[in-house]
Amino acid sequence: MRLFGIVFVGSIFAFGVAMMRIEINRSGREIGQLQNEVEIKRARNQYLELEVIRLQSPQTVREMAQERLNLRRTPPQNIVILED
Amino acid sequence: MQKRGNPFVYNVKSRMKLCGLLCLLAPLCIGAQLFYLQTFKHEEFTSKAERAIYNFLDEDRLRGKIYDTNGKFLAESVRTHSCGISKRYVKDKKKTLDFLAQTLGLSRRDIERKWQRNKNFFFVAKKIKPDVYMNLLPVLRTSLGQGLDLTPEYERVHPYGDSAIDILGAANSKNLGLSGIELMFNSELSQEISRRRVKRARKGELIYDRSLKEERSVGSIYLTLDILAQYYAEEALAKAVKDYEPEHGLIIVQQPQTGRILAAASYPRKDGQSLPFQFTYEPGSTFKTIAIASALDAGVVSINDPIDMSGRKWEIARGVVVRDNQHDKDALTIPEIMAVSSNIGAGKIALELGAKNLFYYITAFGFGTKTDINFSGESKGYVPPYTKWTVVDTATKGYGYGISLTPIQLIGAYSAIANGGYLMQPHLVDRIEYADGRVQKKAQTRRIRRIIKPETVQTMKKVLEHVVKEGSGKKAQIKGYSVAGKTGTAEKLSKEGGYAKRHHVVSFCGFTPIDDPQFTILVVLDNPAKYTFGGTAAAPVFKEVAEGLLAMQAIPPDRPEELQQSAKKN
Repeated sequence: MRLFGIVFVGSIFAFGVAMMRIEINRSGREIGQLQNEVEIKRARNQYLELEVIRLQSPQTVREMAQERLNLRRTPPQNIVILED
Repeated sequence: MQKRGNPFVYNVKSRMKLCGLLCLLAPLCIGAQLFYLQTFKHEEFTSKAERAIYNFLDEDRLRGKIYDTNGKFLAESVRTHSCGISKRYVKDKKKTLDFLAQTLGLSRRDIERKWQRNKNFFFVAKKIKPDVYMNLLPVLRTSLGQGLDLTPEYERVHPYGDSAIDILGAANSKNLGLSGIELMFNSELSQEISRRRVKRARKGELIYDRSLKEERSVGSIYLTLDILAQYYAEEALAKAVKDYEPEHGLIIVQQPQTGRILAAASYPRKDGQSLPFQFTYEPGSTFKTIAIASALDAGVVSINDPIDMSGRKWEIARGVVVRDNQHDKDALTIPEIMAVSSNIGAGKIALELGAKNLFYYITAFGFGTKTDINFSGESKGYVPPYTKWTVVDTATKGYGYGISLTPIQLIGAYSAIANGGYLMQPHLVDRIEYADGRVQKKAQTRRIRRIIKPETVQTMKKVLEHVVKEGSGKKAQIKGYSVAGKTGTAEKLSKEGGYAKRHHVVSFCGFTPIDDPQFTILVVLDNPAKYTFGGTAAAPVFKEVAEGLLAMQAIPPDRPEELQQSAKKN
């Protein structure tokens, strides 16, 4: 009876350890997937940021200013600096 | 009753012992084997298990960014994927290829062609953007996705397009530098690679294990370039290329007080091939500034000394005749020599200075040695030792022949005149900032040496201003601002020997405003298809770039009276 008890407790313990290992692996896998998603979203953001920078680049601004607003680059002597 | 036969057979205890021993034999053997494996084969099996379970992911090879001087980033790595097919694992070829063509936006026929051409594995597409990757990912674990392989890789992106790409260079999909700054600073940009050790599950999925993550840091590089200045330089160069169709062209902008390079544009633009550091040429008349500044500094001539020009013809040695066709005077002073760009005048002054002294000044100005800017492929030019110079060599060096130099050397010499006589250490990289907070300063302002006296500097500024006001550099004038500079139109060496009359290098080098110079700018157009001169082709380019830079830094006019006069006229 005593031996049976020891074996039973041991089995329960072994089962618990096995379940824990499975659970750790499962959550590890989930974290891995989430990490992957985070990286993908980060890369997506990077592309969006790059697009913003591209739209702010001197070349794009000049092209848009010229085409849409008919603006030209002013010579430096026309710039008026206002002081406080 | 006594039992017959072998007593051991009939002895229960002995038989139980034997059975027990037999039962123990198997565990003992296993135990012994385990002991052997653990003790003698431990390392072999550990490494096998490591290889089977753990992976060091290459996709986490990070690479730092490259920024301009104002912190605008010029190059960055973005995570992408490549999609490959292992033919033998594909279950339904038709469905898989249809799916790929639709998702990746490729032609079905192209994928089919690759399929036919390759034995087993081939890449269908590279640099797959995250949105497309997200569409591919769910399919991987279905029968449709069998045989598909999505490999992480990096794309080095440049938000300003190919602006400054000649300096930045290129990096590959594994985040390794291939050329330009990317190659020169490869170890700093990817010095501390973030590598992640992960467990892999049976189907190849990653199992996150925090305790095994190894975090390291990478460096980001801040250049001295200003992307707006670079844009002005590239825009002006593109216009000049369109107008004059040169073989090569370059513009370089330097801050004379600090030696920092603000812009360096090249034509043709190829990654890692920056002509301002690599191009060598005979400068022609832009070098007269160096010879005359040297002679003035040595005191062998003074600014108002008349130099004999009788007949506008000078026979340096038997059979070697120099002519000036651009003026009709019999004597010229130094400002006049520079204004009309007289070869006779510059040659005679160089002879007056003497080969040894001229050589001393040429080397002091930094010609014939690398600038230590450390751009890959930087040339040092060529200055032959003065002991080998003939009289003709000395005279021709006075007007920029018989010597080869790089644009970065020439702009350094003009910056020395602009900043009061000091040769400055030029800089292209300002600093490197590491992820762990360390900052490595690279662009410390450093005066290499004093070359000419302050009095010589003042005289040379007047002489160069005269060139732009009254001489060959008129097209570099900027209303309201003082400009000093010199034009150059040098004949190129011909393949047949001697100089080719129709092949030129035209250039202009100058700085503005004269009293407090903010920019030194050098424009060089190599072998323009249309016949032209430094004053007509390069000087207007200088003006265009300088106007942009003056506006960029909101530098007020230093000659406001010119503006008032022109306002009155209008």
